[in-house]
Amino acid sequence: MKQGLQTTAVGSYPKPDYITKARAKFARNRISKTELKGLEERATKHWIDAQLDLGIDLLVDGEMYRGDMVTYFSEELEGFAVSGLVRSYGNRYYRKPIAVGPVGRKADITVDWWKYAQSLSSKPVKGMLTGPYTIADWSFNEYYPTREAFVMDAARAIHEEVVALEKAGCEYIQIDEPAISVRPEEMDLVLKAFNVVTKGINAFTITHICYGNFDSVGDGILRLPVNMLDMESVNSDFDVLEMFRRFPSDKHLSLGVVDSHNHRIESEEEIIKSIRKALEVLTPEKLFLDPDCGMKTRLESETLHKLKNIVGAVNALRSELGL
Amino acid sequence: MYTTVIGNYPKIGPKTRASSLRKAITKYQLNEITESELRQCENEVTSEIIREQEDIGLDILTDGHIRWDDPQTFFASRIHGFQINGLIRYFDTNTYYRQPVAIDKLEWINPISVNDYQFAECCSDLPIKVVITGPFTLAKLCQSRYYKNVDSMAKDLAIILNKEAIALAEAGVPIIQFDEPAILRHKDQIPLFSSLMSVLLEGVTTRKALCTYFGGLSGIEDEIFDLPFDIFNLDLVTNGFDLDSLKKFPVDKSIGLGIIDARNVKLESVDEIQSNIYKTCQWVDPEKIQVSPNCGLEFLPRSNARSKLRRMVQAVTSVKEMIS
Repeated sequence: MKQGLQTTAVGSYPKPDYITKARAKFARNRISKTELKGLEERATKHWIDAQLDLGIDLLVDGEMYRGDMVTYFSEELEGFAVSGLVRSYGNRYYRKPIAVGPVGRKADITVDWWKYAQSLSSKPVKGMLTGPYTIADWSFNEYYPTREAFVMDAARAIHEEVVALEKAGCEYIQIDEPAISVRPEEMDLVLKAFNVVTKGINAFTITHICYGNFDSVGDGILRLPVNMLDMESVNSDFDVLEMFRRFPSDKHLSLGVVDSHNHRIESEEEIIKSIRKALEVLTPEKLFLDPDCGMKTRLESETLHKLKNIVGAVNALRSELGL
Repeated sequence: MYTTVIGNYPKIGPKTRASSLRKAITKYQLNEITESELRQCENEVTSEIIREQEDIGLDILTDGHIRWDDPQTFFASRIHGFQINGLIRYFDTNTYYRQPVAIDKLEWINPISVNDYQFAECCSDLPIKVVITGPFTLAKLCQSRYYKNVDSMAKDLAIILNKEAIALAEAGVPIIQFDEPAILRHKDQIPLFSSLMSVLLEGVTTRKALCTYFGGLSGIEDEIFDLPFDIFNLDLVTNGFDLDSLKKFPVDKSIGLGIIDARNVKLESVDEIQSNIYKTCQWVDPEKIQVSPNCGLEFLPRSNARSKLRRMVQAVTSVKEMIS
């Protein structure tokens, strides 16, 4: 991974119809866990192959086996129950976790899935986790007297999972914290929690942040103890570049260059323009390119087309810059 | 002393007809049902929710905002000059809305909520209040390409929403509640806010409420309580029960006491609710108190929202017995 301008993806890919149906059937006890898992493996292989075909450098497993990014972890951790349906936006609903006891990790959560995905790929696959602040912030809380106590227990649990992924050989571990940009007054708590999560870790660590006001957290995000920030950017007029300009940092940046919640396909020229903007602030070695966010709400055809244009744009710039 | 809700109500719930709303919207999006079939389903859910609020024992109701995707696009998509863009987070919640962008001079076309009010009013003998997202908040949560900044857009929105409020007052709406959570994040802009409110309320002859949530009024109480509203709905959960704000409350106004946490499923105890009401009674005439959740109930599953409202009504009922 020495070449500049690496391409990657944020996390989720659209689930094929057979997965959506199988998950619904499984929820009603009409198929077994094993049957569901077989289909999830098939869909994971499909997306690994697709990324290899497209020429993506740093892969994700596509999260065929996850629903909501917080609910998935709450189901695998101790201390959580799950609520009735609440609306997220439009006609989309999800079940929100409820902290009902001390939160802790009982066993490996994502390690087997990471091993499976990596076994299918010659290129590195990222380990993908949800961060402690987001887990706590996006859950109801019936147990903890303070938000801090909740966040810090979640931090210890996620740290154990980071250690387990590293032990399994995972070299790139992404811990998503989309909730952190909205409550600037809690940035110190976020930093305290993240210091627990990545403590003593040698793997390349990444955090993904999206859909917030980056201005309001100042350089707090840049103080997170990770190697790379993965930021939604298209949808927020590349505010993040301004942040890197104002607060020089040795961090890598994974820059969102296509919108994850819009049907419109960004052209290669448009993406090249965005990358050029970023190259005014960062060296090619420090810059990764990806979509703004997970792609699970897009159609497969849109996803492939958007990714293809990112790779096309990167290849054009690589040859121009002699990378 | 009265009980009320702040605005929206969970659209779907277990073992209710309401769950069919989710299917109906999907079918409508796939062109499998007509718009009037979707409207019919929304009407059924609305009347069910109104009945539910009556059964729980609330005094002042809303229609639950079943037809609203969110507080922004419901208005923006019915005002000339907006285009609806990509998803963005709604304040510090894990909910999202599609962000409206002003691409032309904004104009009021037709009444936005009058029909919805007329439908709701037929469903109940109790007063139904109507909520309008205020011009300051609407502007802050939208983008502008047409206007040179969001503040100049807010001025046009104040004129537009004033027309809407006048139309609602003429339709007989007993209380119009203007939601302005964004002012709590831009307290330095209180002078602009106050001038917007003057435009907004001009010639509106019904009772008017100002509702803020996701924070407290600390630091701007004097300016806020000076505004010509009849009712001030406060969030006394997010930053705690702020007695200092209450001490400044004007004697001739009604207070909306948002003391039930609509963002967490943990059920308040009757004692907790009652002690907050008693504290308020030291400063405000009980007749001028409206007890409610701190914000809309849609952040909760339907069953939790229901339990919280029942608990609230139970607490208020026994306080009323004690006082009389």
